[in-house]
Amino acid sequence: MISGIDATVYDAQSLPSNDNVNAYAFSIDLDGEWFTSKGAMIAYYGAIELSGLSAYASHAAWVAARFSSPLYAQEWVVASGRGKLVIGDRGNDINSYDLDNGNLTIKQTNLLAFETALELKQSIIPGFVTLIGTGKFLASSNGPVIFVEPPFRADPDALLGWADCPSPSIHYDYHWMSQSLSAGVHAMFGRESGEERQYDFTGAGTVLLQSSEVTRHDPALARIVEQHTHLLTAAAAGVLGHKLIARSQE
Amino acid sequence: MAFESVNSKVVRAQISQQGAVLARRGAMLGYDGNVSFRPLAHAPGAGMITGESNKMMASEGSGSVLYGYRGLYVTVIVLTGDSLSVEADRILAHDASLQTSVEMIAQGGVRSAVRGAMTGQGLFTTRISGHGSVAVLSHGGTFPLQLSGQTVGVDPQAYVGHSGALQVDLKSSVGMRHLVGRGSGEAFQLHVSGHGTVYVQASEEKF
Repeated sequence: MISGIDATVYDAQSLPSNDNVNAYAFSIDLDGEWFTSKGAMIAYYGAIELSGLSAYASHAAWVAARFSSPLYAQEWVVASGRGKLVIGDRGNDINSYDLDNGNLTIKQTNLLAFETALELKQSIIPGFVTLIGTGKFLASSNGPVIFVEPPFRADPDALLGWADCPSPSIHYDYHWMSQSLSAGVHAMFGRESGEERQYDFTGAGTVLLQSSEVTRHDPALARIVEQHTHLLTAAAAGVLGHKLIARSQE
Repeated sequence: MAFESVNSKVVRAQISQQGAVLARRGAMLGYDGNVSFRPLAHAPGAGMITGESNKMMASEGSGSVLYGYRGLYVTVIVLTGDSLSVEADRILAHDASLQTSVEMIAQGGVRSAVRGAMTGQGLFTTRISGHGSVAVLSHGGTFPLQLSGQTVGVDPQAYVGHSGALQVDLKSSVGMRHLVGRGSGEAFQLHVSGHGTVYVQASEEKF
C-alpha cells in the first residue's frame, strides 16, 4: 500500500470513460475497435489487442474503406477488444473532439486515435489528413489548443488543423515579397523574420492552433516528396537527382 | 495596448499604425488583419560583445497577433514609467514604444562577473523602460516577489528579472563542506534587497 501520495489511484472501473485522466492522458472505454497511432498507447486494462493496420485489414475488409491513406498505413494500428486504453503523447496536451456529420483536417503527427466510424483521407496539403463523418478522435498539441475564426493567417508550424472552412492558401509577407521582387532573389541572407510564409484561411469555419511552433518529424515526409516526383519527366527527374546527390555530398 | 493572455503560453497583441510590437523572430503563431513582419538589423558587432543580441522582428500594420515560443510559459509585465531588467533571451515580445538598452549588471568588480557566470546570463542584461507591455518567457511560469526594504534569497537559475530600485548581489557560501562534496547544492544565491519586484520562475531549468 502506497501512502503519502496526494493523488487519485485508478483501477479498471474508476479510470475515466472516454475522458481525460489529466491534461496529458486520455482514457478510451474500448468496446470494439479504434484506430490508434503507433506508440500512442501508454497503458491498458482488459483484453485489448494492438495489431498492425495491414495485418488487421487482412481479415477486416472495412479497414481499407475507413483508412484511405497508403502513405500513413505503417504509422497506425488497430486497437481491438474490451477494456480501458490510456493514450498519451510525450507530455503534450491531449484533447478529444466530436465530429457530427462533419469534416476536420489535422496535422498527421498530432492525430493520436479515432473511432472507426470516421473516415480518414489524405489532405491535399502535405502532412495533413482529413477526418469525415460522425465520431470521436484524439489529437495532441504542444500547449493548449487555441480556436480562431477566419479570416486568419497561421504559422505553418503552429497550425494544428481546420474545420468547415476551405483549405488554406499560402500568404507571403508583404515586406519580404516586395524585397524579393525588387532584388530578384529568393534567398536573402539575414533578411528573414522567420515568418515569411503563412497559411491564409478565408471563409467560414474554425482554425485550430497549438501554443508553440514545436513540431514533430513526419515519418512520411520523404514518401510525400517522392510521390510528387512522379509528375516530373524522366529528364527533369534526372536533373533533380543530380542536384540531390550534390547536396548529400556537401 | 496591454498584451492579453490567451493561455499560460500564448499572448495576443494588438498592432496598429501607432503601435508596432517587437518580438523574437519566429515567435508568431498566427494573426488576423494586415500585419507584416520585418527583421530588425542591429548595429554590427554590438551583439557579439555583450551577448545581448537576440534576433528580433517588428510586427507592423493593423491587426492582432498571437505570440508563443517553444511551449515556454509567458508572463505579461506592464510597465508604467518604471523599468524592467531581464535577460534578452527571455523577451518574447514588447511594445515598440518601450526603450531598451543593454547594461552591465551592477557596477563592475569581480563579484558581478562571478554572478553573471553563475546565473548563466553573462555580464550584461537588457533594461526595458517606458509605458507598455513586455511578455517574458520562463520555464514553469513566474511569480513576483514584492520587496519593501527586506532581503530575499533567490536561486540564480530561477531568477528571471526585476523591476524597481533593487540591489542584486551574489552571495556564496563555499566552504570546506562544499569542497568535499557535502554541500547543499545551493552554494550560490542571489540576495535581492530594496524596494521593487523580483520575478522568479518555478524551475531551475535554463533554456
